[in-house]
Amino acid sequence: MLNINNLHVEVGGTSIIKGLTLCVPAGEVHAIMGPNGAGKSTLSYALTGREGYEVVGGTATLNGDDLLELAPEERAAKGLFLSFQYPLEIPGVPTLTFLRTALNAQRKARGEGEISVPDFMKLSRDVAKKLGVTPDMMKRPLNVGFSGGEKKRMEIYQMALLDPRFMILDETDSGLDIDALKVVSEGVNALRGPDKGMLVITHYQRLLDHIKPDRVHVLAGGRIVDSGGPELALALEADGYDRYKEAA
Amino acid sequence: MSLAELTLSPGEAALLNVFPPTEAGDAARVHLRAAGLPNRRVEAFKWTDLRAALAEGIPQADGSAGLIPECLKDALVLDFAPEGFGLEGDKDQGLIIETEDSLELEGAGPLAMIAAGFAPRAVVLRVTQRQSRPIVLRRHPGAPMRIRLELEAGTQLTLIDTALATAGLSTGLMEIEIGAGAELVRYSLQNGDARAIDLANAEVSVASEGRYQAISLMFGGKLARAETHVTLAGEGASCLIQGAYLLSGTTHADMTTKVMHTSPNGQTRELFKGAVQDRARSVFQGKILVERAAQKTDARQNHHALMLSEGAEIDAKPELEIYADDVQCAHGNTIGALDDQALFYMRQRGIPEAQAKSLLVEAFVTEVFDAIELEGVRNWFSSMARAWLEVSSS
Repeated sequence: MLNINNLHVEVGGTSIIKGLTLCVPAGEVHAIMGPNGAGKSTLSYALTGREGYEVVGGTATLNGDDLLELAPEERAAKGLFLSFQYPLEIPGVPTLTFLRTALNAQRKARGEGEISVPDFMKLSRDVAKKLGVTPDMMKRPLNVGFSGGEKKRMEIYQMALLDPRFMILDETDSGLDIDALKVVSEGVNALRGPDKGMLVITHYQRLLDHIKPDRVHVLAGGRIVDSGGPELALALEADGYDRYKEAA
Repeated sequence: MSLAELTLSPGEAALLNVFPPTEAGDAARVHLRAAGLPNRRVEAFKWTDLRAALAEGIPQADGSAGLIPECLKDALVLDFAPEGFGLEGDKDQGLIIETEDSLELEGAGPLAMIAAGFAPRAVVLRVTQRQSRPIVLRRHPGAPMRIRLELEAGTQLTLIDTALATAGLSTGLMEIEIGAGAELVRYSLQNGDARAIDLANAEVSVASEGRYQAISLMFGGKLARAETHVTLAGEGASCLIQGAYLLSGTTHADMTTKVMHTSPNGQTRELFKGAVQDRARSVFQGKILVERAAQKTDARQNHHALMLSEGAEIDAKPELEIYADDVQCAHGNTIGALDDQALFYMRQRGIPEAQAKSLLVEAFVTEVFDAIELEGVRNWFSSMARAWLEVSSS
């Protein structure tokens, strides 16, 4: 599924990711934890192709496709989805217009036909119900005037609609209260599957109570410095990241 | 050397010959011989040099007046062609149409003078009852238009004016008097290419509780200038002036507005939004003047523009001049680029870069059309904007 080998990333000439190697097989959910400034968000932006996040070494492939060769929209069409830590507001573009445009653009890139308007409306309503997204939220311009929690719910809503193969969740729990966290986690768990993979980036263990990872990795100083089962997250919660400072 | 012996450019010399032998034509000739065409040395034209645009003479007229969209099929259409004036469609009661060969022009600027001089006669429209049928004014390529419009108290009219020549010099002068409690709703569409010059001028006076509402869409031309002067003369008079512009290639569009509040409790709302790319240039000059008597004036002006390429140019001059002490006036002016973060967000969802840019520009500009009450016209303007975006991003 996702294979990252010896990845080096620079931002504005500063080296942030320094030789990161990670493999997430299909059907698994991996968590990446780490202190602030470890390079967690840089990793998610480098994988999705954001300008300014320059990959200076290493490889990253998704199902054998070289991600680093592709434009951001081409990576999305290959099934890569990033749930943003800070989702953007897009004034003037109604949520449903945005999503139908995105879905059809991805289908076109994959050589599939456009989804019809009635089919799309039905799909969007069905998914919305499950995630507590109201018809009002879908009519408004994307994320405009939404609370932090609503924005995160909208990210998962988009994820469910676009049905990606590999999902990166960047600090999805921030800004969510307990009830919203449950709704979002259920939504995420429903998207797990034998042919799908997930990378859950989080600072806190809390989210991992709801989205149970198969593996937990610790990112510090731009490298994976420790890996283990779910119990590693609990140990981190108890002891903090101090013991990795030297490794970093 | 006296002013009367000013050396004329080929364009100025050509204009002298096209002004018909009317009083207005004579007045325009005298003015032109003395002052020449407005050019960059004249403050109000410093970014829109008409003399330079006409340096090689008057471009040969070309193109068509454009089709009437389905949503306006019941409208009364007034055509202004170089051969003369024509009328098509049914007329509602309470509308009187006459032509006048000599109509005085009061205190007008150079553009109005040229337009009045160019037009062999004026068409006078008197509205004595509320009109449910819109009126379309089409300026044909190379044609002059002069309209005098009087709305009696309490009446209402919707007016759509278009200038769609691909080449040539077309002019439009509208002298508008809006009576007490009357309302004029005006939608303007201008589209030209690198050989079209369009000069539009509206002189509007609004009586108490009357309203002038104008929403425009401009694609520019070799030079296109839409100048609007509104005097809110009566107490509680109001105006809403909004415009969108989308410019590419080497086109030039100028939106110049001046609103004068001369009575209390007036209201002005101005919103202009546009996007400019390649080597195109937009000019926005907006002045709101509040006289001492115009207490409790509430005036707001906004101009926001997107620069889509390095070589594009946006010139803006917002001005407030206030002599009354109990007023609420504000203006805002921003010029920027598309938001990179929003672009990346959209691309991450699978939307190709060009399409993402189009969506963002469309969303930005079409806010101006939200105030269009006729749904058909709103969709027409939006689809014109979308078509421009599809061509310019491909």
